[in-house]
Amino acid sequence: MTLNQNDIYNFIKAIKDNSEYDFSQYAPKSFYRRVEKLLEDFEIDIYDLIDKINDGDAKFIQKIVNHLTVNTTELFRDPKVWHAIRYRIIPKLRKNDTINIWHPGCSSGQEVYSMLILLNEEGLLDRTNIYGTDINTEMLDKATRGEYSYRLNVEYFQNFDEVIRKNPHNYEEYHNVPYTKYFDIDPVNDLIKVKPFLKEKAKFAKHDITKLNNPFGKKFDMIVCRNVLIYFNRNLQSNVINFFYDHLEFPGYLILGYHESIIGPESYKFHKHGYYYAKKLV
Amino acid sequence: MASKYIIIGGSAGSFQTILQILNNIPKDYKHPILLCLHRLKHVRGGFVEALSIKSKIKVIEPEDKSLITASKVYLAPANYHMYLEVTNTIALSTEEPVNHSRPSIDITFASAAYAFQDKVVGIILSGANKDGAAGLKEIKHYGGTVIVQDPKEASVPVMPNAALTEVENPDHIYNTEQIIEFLNSINY
Repeated sequence: MTLNQNDIYNFIKAIKDNSEYDFSQYAPKSFYRRVEKLLEDFEIDIYDLIDKINDGDAKFIQKIVNHLTVNTTELFRDPKVWHAIRYRIIPKLRKNDTINIWHPGCSSGQEVYSMLILLNEEGLLDRTNIYGTDINTEMLDKATRGEYSYRLNVEYFQNFDEVIRKNPHNYEEYHNVPYTKYFDIDPVNDLIKVKPFLKEKAKFAKHDITKLNNPFGKKFDMIVCRNVLIYFNRNLQSNVINFFYDHLEFPGYLILGYHESIIGPESYKFHKHGYYYAKKLV
Repeated sequence: MASKYIIIGGSAGSFQTILQILNNIPKDYKHPILLCLHRLKHVRGGFVEALSIKSKIKVIEPEDKSLITASKVYLAPANYHMYLEVTNTIALSTEEPVNHSRPSIDITFASAAYAFQDKVVGIILSGANKDGAAGLKEIKHYGGTVIVQDPKEASVPVMPNAALTEVENPDHIYNTEQIIEFLNSINY
């Protein structure tokens, strides 16, 4: 069956009426596809689904919400971005007594762990508070467990090499950091497990960035929010960017996805430096 | 809003054809051209540059929510789906691959069909899978123009053949030269 706008509207309304979630400002095209996929995977039609949502079972609604989110993430995704973090941002934060970092929309937590590895290599782990949040509770459980498929992630160790072992500014430099410093690797059971000392540092919590509230009661030196805003419409994107601005320290840095950029009036609030944004005082 | 949206999908064996097309379209072409090409997962750089050598029109990898304007070539970024929205903008997404492909040609075609209806010209080129066929059907359904590269000319004819199976009456089955001729004939 093909969904029409009215179906999508009724679906969003049912979720909104029965939970704290509001998808009305998501980017229409990809959201539509998520709903189509949901119906396929749950083998249910939209009317029955809306009826079930209106029964108000919080567990069921959370399951639906989990299924709507996109969870693509990887270790040290886009090494150039991580080079910018390592060689441009971290030197500026090194003198701080504490470094606070927030990853809204962290999915299964792989970027949180990437950041922790980088900070450990830079000798800053003890001074860092790092938070990962998402609306997908299954992904948060996965992030907390810190266990990933070996088969599906083995290629990302190349990214690890690019970021942790090599230095793009000095090709002669090579740090032979073993993967086993950070992971227990178990190909037989198809598992990569993050070491306990990293897992203890990461704090994962359920939080919906579209609500524009800061549950941590502190400002952040770095906010890493990659390929999350692409699922929002322009208006919600602006609101979230303004929210990030308000909750960044100065100096403070914002890292978005490779093909996300700040457009419109908010762009005057940040300096764009290649792969990251720096908060301006305005 | 542009008066036409030229959407080209291609995979294995389509690169030379794309270069030839871009080389023969004038700099001030009146319509936007959107390319959805399969490429190696971890080859990010170099593609825009490779296309730019031959292209007279500026080739860019769009950012999310970029406005679509005439006289520009938009190349779907590696590892992102590229949707076109009724607001005349591009929306990117990192959802799971569709038929093993990200970008998925079907997604770009189908979203274009829905957003721009009869203004869409969908062109499918050489490739080794059936991505694009379902999307072309949507383009046809919404009154757009469907062009399939002649399977006899395509280096890998699987994709054009899949399109011909899916779309009962494509508007044109063209070789590269005819595609170029057609694109220039609607340059107004």
